[in-house]
This record gives sequence, structure tokens and C-alpha cells, in this order.
Amino acid sequence: MINKTILRVGSALSIALAVAGCNNDSITNLNKNPNSPEDVPPGPLFTEASRLSTSRWFGGIDLRTYEWIVQHLSEVQYNDEDRYLRVHAADTEGSFNGAYAGELKDLTQIIAKGQATNEPGVYGPAIALRTLVFSFLTDSWGDIPYSQALKGDSVGTTLSPAYDKQQDIYADFFAVLDKASNDLTGAANVLGDADPIYGGDPASWQKFINSLRLRLALRVSEVDPTLASAQITAARTAPGGLILTTADNAYFPWPGDGIYNNPWADNLGGRDDWRMSDRLVNIMNALSDPRLPIYAQPTAADPAVYRGSPNGLLPQNVPDPTTTSRPGEIFYKGQTTYGPVFGGAGASLPTPIMTAAEVNLLLAEAAERGLGGLTPGQAAAYYNAGITASMDQWSDMAAAGGQSIAAGDVAAYLANPGVVYQGGVAGLRQIAQQKYVALYMDGANAWFEWRRTCVPSTVVPGPDATLTYVPRRLEYPTTEATTNKESLDAAIADQGPDDLGTRVWWDTMTAPTCS
Amino acid sequence: MGKIGKISRWLALASVALLAPAIARAQGTTISGQVTGAGGAPVIGASVSIPTLRVGAFTDEQGNYSFTAPASATGTTVTVMARRLGYQPSSASVALAGNPISQNFSLSATATELQGVVVTALGETREKSQLGTAQQQISSTELNETKTMNVVNSIQGKVSGVTITGSGTVGGSNRILLRGANSISGNNSPLFIIDGVAVSNADRGSGPGGGFDFGSAISDINPEDIATMSVLKGPNAAAIYGSRAANGVIIMTTKRGANSGGKMRTEVSSTYTWEKPSILPEYQNLYGQGAAGQFEFVDGQGGGTEDYNDQSFGPRLDGRLIAQFTSPRAADGSLIPIPWVAHPNNVESFFNTGHTFSNNVAFSGGTERANARMSFGSDQVEGYIPNNSFHKMNGLLNAALKINDRLSSDASLQYVRNTGLNRPGVGYTQSVLEQFVWFGRQVDLNALRNTYNESGAINNGPANREFNWNYSFHNNPFWLQYDNPEQDTRDRFIGNVSATYMLADGVNASVRTGSDIYRYNIDQRFAPGDVRQGTIVDPAYFGGFTNLTDYNNENTTDATIRVNRGLGSHLLVNATGGVATRRTTYNFNSAQTGGLTVPGIYNVSNAAITPTLGQTTQRRQTNSAYASADFTLNGWWTIGGTMRNDWSSTLPKENNSYFYPSVNTAIVLTDAIPAIKNGILSYAKLRASTARVGADADPYLLRTTYSGLSNKFDGLPQFSLADALANGDLKPEITHSNEAGLELGFLNGRVTFDGSIYDKYTTNQIFNAPVSSTTGFTSKSINAGEISNKGQEFLLSVMPIETAGGFSWNSIFNYGRNKSKITELAPGVTTLALGSLFTARLEARLNKPYGALMGNAWLRDDQGNLLLKNGLPQRDPASAGYQHYFGSVQPQWTGGWGNTLTFKNLRLYGLLDFHVGGKLASITNMWGDYTGVLSRTIAGREVDWDKPGYVVKGIDQATGQPNTKAVTAETYWQCISYNCGQVIEDHIYDATYTKLRELSLVFDLPQTLASRFNASAITLGITGRNLKTWTKVPNIDPEFSYQTGNNQGIEFASMPNPRVWGFNVRITP
Repeated sequence: MINKTILRVGSALSIALAVAGCNNDSITNLNKNPNSPEDVPPGPLFTEASRLSTSRWFGGIDLRTYEWIVQHLSEVQYNDEDRYLRVHAADTEGSFNGAYAGELKDLTQIIAKGQATNEPGVYGPAIALRTLVFSFLTDSWGDIPYSQALKGDSVGTTLSPAYDKQQDIYADFFAVLDKASNDLTGAANVLGDADPIYGGDPASWQKFINSLRLRLALRVSEVDPTLASAQITAARTAPGGLILTTADNAYFPWPGDGIYNNPWADNLGGRDDWRMSDRLVNIMNALSDPRLPIYAQPTAADPAVYRGSPNGLLPQNVPDPTTTSRPGEIFYKGQTTYGPVFGGAGASLPTPIMTAAEVNLLLAEAAERGLGGLTPGQAAAYYNAGITASMDQWSDMAAAGGQSIAAGDVAAYLANPGVVYQGGVAGLRQIAQQKYVALYMDGANAWFEWRRTCVPSTVVPGPDATLTYVPRRLEYPTTEATTNKESLDAAIADQGPDDLGTRVWWDTMTAPTCS
Repeated sequence: MGKIGKISRWLALASVALLAPAIARAQGTTISGQVTGAGGAPVIGASVSIPTLRVGAFTDEQGNYSFTAPASATGTTVTVMARRLGYQPSSASVALAGNPISQNFSLSATATELQGVVVTALGETREKSQLGTAQQQISSTELNETKTMNVVNSIQGKVSGVTITGSGTVGGSNRILLRGANSISGNNSPLFIIDGVAVSNADRGSGPGGGFDFGSAISDINPEDIATMSVLKGPNAAAIYGSRAANGVIIMTTKRGANSGGKMRTEVSSTYTWEKPSILPEYQNLYGQGAAGQFEFVDGQGGGTEDYNDQSFGPRLDGRLIAQFTSPRAADGSLIPIPWVAHPNNVESFFNTGHTFSNNVAFSGGTERANARMSFGSDQVEGYIPNNSFHKMNGLLNAALKINDRLSSDASLQYVRNTGLNRPGVGYTQSVLEQFVWFGRQVDLNALRNTYNESGAINNGPANREFNWNYSFHNNPFWLQYDNPEQDTRDRFIGNVSATYMLADGVNASVRTGSDIYRYNIDQRFAPGDVRQGTIVDPAYFGGFTNLTDYNNENTTDATIRVNRGLGSHLLVNATGGVATRRTTYNFNSAQTGGLTVPGIYNVSNAAITPTLGQTTQRRQTNSAYASADFTLNGWWTIGGTMRNDWSSTLPKENNSYFYPSVNTAIVLTDAIPAIKNGILSYAKLRASTARVGADADPYLLRTTYSGLSNKFDGLPQFSLADALANGDLKPEITHSNEAGLELGFLNGRVTFDGSIYDKYTTNQIFNAPVSSTTGFTSKSINAGEISNKGQEFLLSVMPIETAGGFSWNSIFNYGRNKSKITELAPGVTTLALGSLFTARLEARLNKPYGALMGNAWLRDDQGNLLLKNGLPQRDPASAGYQHYFGSVQPQWTGGWGNTLTFKNLRLYGLLDFHVGGKLASITNMWGDYTGVLSRTIAGREVDWDKPGYVVKGIDQATGQPNTKAVTAETYWQCISYNCGQVIEDHIYDATYTKLRELSLVFDLPQTLASRFNASAITLGITGRNLKTWTKVPNIDPEFSYQTGNNQGIEFASMPNPRVWGFNVRITP
């Protein structure tokens, strides 16, 4: 009896132990993620990173704010951006954080993969976009993590990247762009269709890289003219050349399929809170600019009138919105509803990222100032070419909606006494103003250039604005104060108070057009 | 041989001692009978035993018991005791002669909850006096005092230390928290166990920002099938359940069949209730839609004067003639002005009277060898929101079979089907109620109700939209409910099979396997013209849809050996050892599109816009070995402990095995030192315990992966490296808990007290700590962080009156106070976001209680006066970026006070539910002030829209003098709610409330009548829930939840909890 009982208890226990002890290896294997891979090829990373770069910096939800700061657009309801209420750290940090954790991280992965396989066709375009996005970041915030950034928790790194001085970041920009441009010479097209911008074409990316280098060179031209001049020369003489014709423009094509739409189409179509700024419309009206009917819709009250709405007003002080112009039909039809509106013509409007209009105007400025081996005598030709390229570009973009700019209108505009190139400081002002107009819906670059050139001088805080100055940078994210405080404090100590008024390294306001 | 030999000799001796009584097996004496309570009603689940022989049985549904005393005792006289929680024990002296003996007991009820038998961990029934940990048991009667469909709602106000917030949405989410939150960002819900099987309380809730609240899975359980519910409050009581028990355990046992001599017994319960929203905002009725005193409707989207504007700062509602959305059209198509008047009931009249019809019927019966109970239940709910309904159907079969003297088997299978139809959107962006905050007080809801299916063209609005009062921002609320069909269905099986083999007297081995399996499908269809933010419909196509399916399977298989017997005459051993394995499989699939090619076919093949697809699979497994042992000496001193080792699939191989123990003791002082027992003090027990509980991680946190997007970019695949850094070195997290308790009985159980103090903290928390995004990642899984929770709780029962004439008053008060503090976050991290809406933020913040409500605050001088500029308050720059701490959303204490007055066959029961302290942010009040719909926004425009204006009390910053400058009401109210620096301060409230949670009047039909229906009792009742709320929070129900997760305390357009009236018929077999 006892033996039988002991036997029973014993066998039950041993079965129990067997069950418990078994297969602890197999349960570990159960934890391999069945939903997501641990490695992927560079193509799909590039597609997403290029889409994210474009949607974030050209009309994305937080950084559409640039268009109000630079006063291309104005607000008629919930005027928070316009009055500088909604441009503080908490409002813009999503873009700062999103850029690092989004496109910059993936572009960094692509570069590593491309360098590992020694394929410039992979890492070249990724370096171009990475430098573009980093330039948006540093030009908006000033000193930012750069050399230690984007390394995750890989061996030998900390989770608190230090902030690099903007001056050092620019030096590295020029170095990496130089190398990438050279490496792309004769490189094979690897990315192909995975690159929505240039279909992976190394020669086009070479032009993009050289043009970006030109832009960045002029940006530092007040603080370090010597460096600027050398870099302009290098950009002009680098293999592959510059984007000088509209055909070479870098456009990001939006499928407009209801999922991936032009961000401005989604933004503007979603609510009717926005109008053209009177700063921009006044300039265009004064010169009978043929781009105006594309940029803007006529007022609801009078279909013959284009009128802007002033910036920086309290809602009760805003003029009747039926008497001011909505942004153009190429983005959305005038009627809006609260929810998202897809499928309009604007949804598939491509986003210009780097254009011949800008490049020619940059060259015009360099020529007028005698930088980069150019001479003032060359300025007028580049100036006219820049304006013409901008007209071509907007005419092309509007073609899908049945709008266009006739060659005669362009010629008439160029002949307008207010447009005809005057040379000297007046010419530089004309160049800067043309750039301000051409960079419509590229608020970031328009704002950077306004800060550097002080043109147009009509951009001032609105009557009900909460600041006495137009913001000159953005505030660091509150998340950096909680996750990377030491590095952030060092950057602030170096650069100046973390507010909207502190100037970044290149923002010296010593441009000839500022006086 | 040496040491090992010595040990094994001891072990052999010990096992002989353990098994010794098994040797003496011969013919015994069978004792049987019935245990009854007041009025002869059977007492179910009473324990009848001979304590000295450690034999006994529990009574069945008819109060009958039967057991056999061992033959070795034949010839002796023993004491047989009958005990049941809530009754005075009763005993009888019986001479064991070998012949069957019949012995009935009649028990009288007491207020005491201190002695008797309770269900505890692993479903074991134990003497409460032997428990060293805090737990509270609720009976079926208490649970079903007033009818609610969600079993979690049924314990509101009844258990100390439990915080429950319910949602007014039919079938919506309830948040339940035992003794505060343990985990900073993880799951804080207790573990639910039904008949030994873990069941899911997975949540498909929403948030105040917007969405649909599809409730949580525990609501499938039918409260009528529950025999007992035990709340094991802390890790101490729950250590044996392993990982998920750190938040406490709620153990439910279902009703079972019993030996009825082959007769069938029937239970019936039917309830019919009516529901109305318990709280609605107070609206003003002096000013209509518009701004700056102006309004004229032309097309409802900006064509007229302020006719796109959805605020109520328009013209005074004085009957002047204004074109409105209900205006008739003139011959030229223009709208004819009609009187501009208020519709004071325009929000209230949106709601219907909801009603619920619940029916339950159960049949049970059995013989000596087999018994079964089957039950069917259904709930049919018509919600108080138009066209919203909810249906639930339950079936449950419990069966037990004694195969031979040693082997018995038990099985339980329950099926639940629950269907929600047209659940209303909740929260900001998709809510049906959102527009009553952005609203015109002149809007005639009858027009919207009668004409919702007409085109907007009839009042010059867009032809492709439904008829509405505003076309810029809103949909017709009736159209939302009628023309955007939603159906969700959960099919669920919960079942288990077990076999128990008696190895020897008091030694049983059992094996059990069981699963909780459900499939939940949500099918939402959207008509074109849906303009709610966050919905997905492209007006260029014929509507869109979202279709998602959850499949969840949680399997638990265990094998245990239990010993429950004496060692000598003074020591009782209660020991369990076992192994278990738990496997969870979760699959999720979804498809959604914003456009259809052909109207009416909501299928991916008909998508005009490429559908977004989702697919997730999660698998995890935990293997465990555990043991627990309690030794009770002389019946008054129990010392016990548990230990458990888990092996989890979700942790790295080196760290995947973790061990955790607990120790507890209980001393019945009045038995240990009988001298302290006197006429006043009748019972005293001390208990103390200390425990650790380990918990594992979520699956797949060990390796960083790339995420793909289902939506191809122009046909191209897209991938991105995840934003969360994985961590290959994760360790298990550990909750430490200490508690001590005191149980006292006075005046023979007329007054009892059961109190606990506890101190618990969780270390090595596994959470996604934020890291600087400049690393390329936004978070990293780490072991860090610590929350401490300290608290006190008690249950005080008093029976002040009990007369011979049949009148009694029983009063029970429970109280739970919890103080939480976050003592550590990740290195360098001082705050972690839990949720936010507009200008209110909920965070886990270092050195603050869990759930810190943050926002911008007003600028004040040293005396606390507002510092004004141009007559308006300003944001304190120091608070900018939501840096001001307004308090925690956790209550300071919660409690309940239940009173039962019984007179003969009549019973009146009332329950007050207290929720004291804690803060909430009300976005309903914030936007309600902004838009001027709330009644208080009349202040400043008593005379006309801009007269006399509002003079804010405060100091003018420029002059240093008290402010005299008046601003218009519109400027003032929009300033304090949003425009003056987005300051939330004026819309933070003390969330204190008291609710008359339950009220019932029950009448027992005379016993003679009941027996004619072969029933022990037939009762008729009138019941009510949420009848009255006392609170200082204006305009909203301060009790709200959108989900079971940690995003709590920020409110917008939550459905108020319904006020419920109903009646009930119950037949008890």
C-alpha cells in the first residue's frame, strides 16, 4: 500500500518535473519577431526616407509654420502660428525629433550599406538627402547633434550625442558633398525606381549635390566670404554640373492616391483657415506677376481680385475672408471641409525640392558679389534665367489643372521696369525678392534666405503678434531637455539663449541688402 | 552514503508520517444533511466538517452535504461544525456508530466576514482565519444586487482599495486598479481567473482624443453565472499566479451542479431596466450661433455671415428674423428669415431612453457520481444614443463526473457572443457628442432628426452632403448614427477540463488544461461625406471602411499535487506543488480604405483607394514550477509560504529564469490567548506577509527590427528601422510587497473590522525609456524606474439593529487610500508622457504621484492675484511648455458605504460610492467656454453680446492697480480657455464625487408560494444605479474612461454613465 502510494506520488512528481524542465530553448526561439525583419535592402529604405524628407520639410503639419513665419501665407482663424504662439518648442519638436528618428536614421543606414558594398549609386543619393535634411535642421535650430548623432546604442557611443557648432557642421557638409559628387562620376544606377526623385540616376544626383553645395555656400557668404567663394567655385566646377534648367529640377512626385498626397493639398484642403499673405501678394500684384493666378485663387467676393490677408492678427481683426485670396487651385479647390479631402488635382502635385530657378538666382547673387570666380557682368543673365525657370516650373506644375504661363507673359514680366535687373545693391535686392517669390511653398528656404538677406523688408511681425521680432531660429525640443540635458545646456551656453530671437552662426545680417 | 543518505532517510520517514492515515481505511460513518439560513433558505457553499478528523464537505446548491468519517473514528463522539462566511458558525455533537447519520444545521447571518470559508489562490477553498494575506470575497447575491452587464461594474463601491471608473458607452471600457498602478507604462490591470483559467481583459478602447470604445474583454463574463468572486489585492495574495499577478488577481468561480437526487433545479432571473444619461452640460439659451453678435445662414460653410462658425457668440435669441438652416426657400432659392429663438432641449432631445432586457435561466442537477449545471443568458440593450444597440448571449455548461472512488473529472465550457451595433464615436475628433460643444443654441434637433437622410442642397448646402446645420466642421449627428453602420462581434469560448486522482487521503493529483479563445471582428462602414477628423473617407468616392479582426488564444495547462491533511493532532498541512505552462497566441488583421469603387460593397476587392492592411502575430510562453505550503498549528497559528520559478519566452536566454518567494503568517489572537476574549471582543486576528513577484517583458523587445508599410508608394515597398531600440539584456521586473492586517470582531460579530496596510514597489521595470531622438531612436527598452505605492484599506461591518421582530440593519463601509510616488525613471529622464489632449498633458513624473496632470498656468503675483494685461490674464512664462503640475489624477481615497435594511420579506439596499481627491482636466468645459454654449458664458453678455463686458478680477500689470478694463464675453471666455497662451488652469477640477451607485428594494415572496414552484425563494425587486451624483465638477460626469489603459484623467465628450431604473424577478432553486 505504502509502496503503491509512493509510486503514484513519485510518478506524478516526475511527470511534473519533466513538463517544467523541458524545452526552455524552444521558448526562446518563440521570441523571434515574425512580423518584422532584422535586415532589409537599401531600396525600400530610400523610398520611405525620401518621402519622409519631402513631406516633413515641404508643408508637413508642424513645419508648414515656415510659410507663416516668412509670410507667404497668413491665418484667418486660430491665428496661432501667425502670432508666433504656436512656433515654440512644443510645437516644432515633432519635426526635429521626427527628422532624426525618421529619414536621417534610415538615410544613415543606407549610406552604411552602400559604403559596405562600395556602391556610390546607393550612398551618393542618400548623402545628398541626408545633407539636405541636416541643413534644414541646422539652419532652423543652429547647433545640433551631428557628428555623434544617429548611432543608436552601438558600441562606443552614448545615448546623449553632443551638439556640434554650426560652423563645424557646414565644414563637414562641404566635405561629404565633395566626396559624394566625385564618387558618383560613372557610378552605376542601383536604386532605380526605388528613388522617386531621379530614378536612381547618378548624374542627376551629382547635379543635385553640386547645387546643394552652391546653396549652402551662399548661406555662409556673409559670415565667411572666403569659404563661400571657394565652395561656389568648387560647386560650379565639380563633375556633373549644376541644375540650370527646369528639366533637371528635383521634384518629389506624389501619387495622390489618397494615401500619399502632396502635403499642401492635404493641409490646405483640410480646413479653410488660411489665405495668401498680403506681403507676397502685394509684391506680385505690383509687378503683375503671371504666377499669381497659379499661386492664389481670386477672392470669393470678386473673381478679378487677388488680395492677401495681413499676418499676425487676432481673429476678430482679420479682414472678411471672402475678400482675400485662398492659395492656388493647383493645391486644392476653394471649397474645403473639416475632414481630409483627397483626390483633388493638388493631391498629385509634385513638390519641388531643388530647382533651376533657385540655382540661377544663387549664381546671379554670386556674380553680382564677385564670388566663386563669377563677375557682376554675369548677374543679369542668371537673374533672367532664374525668373524664367521659375515661370516654367510653375507653369509646368499647373498644367495638370489647365493653367499655364504664356511665353509672352514671361517676356512682358521680364520687361517690366520693376523687374529689369538694376545691378549693384538694388540688383541684389531684386535677386533676393525674386527668390522669395520663387520659393513659394518652400517656406524653409525662403525663411533662411530672408534671414540672410533681409529681403523683403516688409516681413515684420503683425500687429497682434506675441513677439516684437520675426523669429530667427526655432527653440530646441523639450524632449532634449529631458533626455539629453548636458549636451543641450552646452549648446545653449555656446550659441546663446534658447529662444526664437537668437541668431545662428551664419545669421549676421551684414548682407549688403540689409542696410 | 553520507549526508545524502541521511537526508533521504529523513525524507522517507517524513513521507511515511505524511501518508500514515491512509493505511487505516475501512468502513466509515456517513453524515449528511442540509444547512439552511433565514426562512429556511438553503445555504450554499457552507463548510460542514469534523475539525478533529479533518473530514468534511461543502453544501451544494440545495444546501445539502454528505461526507464519510473514517472507520477508525467509529465509536467516538465528535463535534460537527457548519460554517459559512457571513454566518455564525454552528456545531453539533454526533456519535459515530457506523450507520448513516442525518444532521441539519440552521445558521444565522452576521455582519462578520472574518470567519468562514473563502476561495483563494488556485481556486482552493480555505478557512479565512488561516489566511495571511488580504483578500475580499463577494457573493453572487452581492454582485447581482443591481443589474450591470459588466462584472467589473458590479463590484464598484464594494471592495476596499479598488478604483473603478466606468464608461457611459454601452459595452465600453472600465478601468480597474487594485492598490494603485505598479507599472509606469505597462499594464496595470489585475489578472482575471475563471475556474482556474486565465481570461483576457484585452482592451479595444479609445482615448479622449477620439475614436470608438469597443470595450474590454472581461465584460463577456455573465455575472449571473458567478458563484464567488475573490479579490486578491496585492502581490502577497497572488504570488502563486506568477508574472501577471503583480497587479492583483480577481478569481471567479462559476456556479456548479450538485447531487439533487436526480431532480432538476431551475434558476431564473429577469431584469428590465431603463437608462438615461445621468449628467448633461448646462447650456445657455440667450445667444445663438455666430461670432461678435452676428450670424446669417447662406450655405452653412462660410457663404453667409459667420455661418461656418460653430460657436455661440452670435446674436441674442430674441425672436428677431434671421435666415437659418431650417428656413424655407424663397422662389429665388434664398433662405427666408425666420424667428431666431433658442431650443433649450436641443442636446437632451438627442438622447433616447435606453432599455435593457436581461434574462438568465439555469438548470442543474446530479447524482452521487455526476452533476451538471447549464445556463443560458441574454442581454438585449437599446442604448440611449440613437440606433445604438448591444446584444450578448451566454451559454455555460459545468459538469463533474466521479469516475471511481479515486478518479474524478470536471469540465466547463462557456460560449459568449457579444454584438455591438453602431457604437457612437467618443472623444474629440470622431465623437457624436463633439458638436454639442461646438454648437448653436438655436439649432432645432428635430429638423436634424427628421431630415438627416436628405441632401444638404435643400438648405443651399453642398449637394453631396447630408442635411445639417453646419457644413464646415460637422456631420448631422443622426446621420452619423444611422448612415454609418458599425457592427462588432466577439465570439468567445472559455473552457477547461480537469482530472483529479486521489493518491491517498488528503493527497490529490490533478491535471487541467483550459483556454480562453476569442475572435473579435469590428466592421465599420463610412458613408461619403463623413467630415470628422481622423476618419478616412474621401468625398470623391462612395464611402470607406475599416475591418479588423483580433484572434486571441490563451492556454493554461497545469499539473498539481495537493496535500491537505493533519500531521499529528495539532498540525494541519495544506500544501500544493505543481507545474504549469501558459501559451498565448494573438493575431491581428485589418484592412481599411477611404474610397469604394461601387457603392455598398465594403470589401477590399472594391477599394478605389489602395487599402491599408495590417497584420500582427504575437506568441509567448511561460513555463513555471511552483509550490506553496501552509502549516496551521492548533487551528490558530498559520505560517505559510509560496515559491515559484518562471521561464519566459520574452526574456533573453540568460535572464529568462526567475524565482520569487512569499511568506505569510496569521495568528488568531482570541484562540491563542483565550483570556483576551470577552463580551466585547469576540475575535482578533493578526496577519502579515511579504512577497516578491517577477514579471517578464512583452514579446520581441530583444532585437531591433525594420518596420514595413503595407501601403506601397506608387507600388514601391517601404521600410524603416524601428524607432524603439531593442535591448538584448532585459531582466525580469520585480514587485516587492509587504502587508500587515488586523481583523477584529466585536459583540459576537455584530461589528467587524478587517484592515490592511501595505507598502509595495516595483523595480527593474521594463519600459520604453525615452532617449534623445538625435540618436536616431526615440526610446529604448530598459530595466529602470520604480513606483512605490503605500496605502491603507479597511472594511467595517456593523449590524446596529437586529430585532426579534425580523427587522435588521446591516451597514458596511469600505475605505482604501493609496499614495503613489515615482521614485525613479530612466537615468536622466524626469518625465514620461502617458497621454494628452489639446493643452492638458498626463505624465509619469519623477517624485510625483503616478498620473501627473500638467499644463500651462496663469501668471500671478505673490499674493496669488492674476496679473493682467489689457484686462486679460496671461500665461506664466515659467509654466510654458506644459510645465505646471496641477496634481495627480489618482484619487486620494475611494470607498463605499452599503446599507441593507431588512424587515421580514422586504429588503432595502443602498450603496454610496466615494471617490475623493485627484484632479481631472475637462476639455468639454474648455471648449464649451470657448464656444460660449455653456450657461456660465452668459457672464459678460447679460445685456447684449458685448454688454456689459467682463471685468477680470486681478491686478493690471502695467499700473499695479486692480483691473477695471472690461472685455467682451467672447474675448474673455476664449482667452481663458485657449487664446491667452493655451492655459488649462481654469479647466482643471477636483475630481471628487459621491454617487448613489445602487439602490434596490427586494421583496421575497412567501416561502409557501415559492415551494409551490419547487423553488426555495422567489424575489421581486426594483433596482436603480447611478441615481445621483454629488460633485463640484461642472457639466460632465467626473467618472469617465475611454479605455482600461493608463491614459486617464483627461476628459472630452465622454458618454455620461447612465442613470438606470429597473425591476427584477429572480427564482432561486
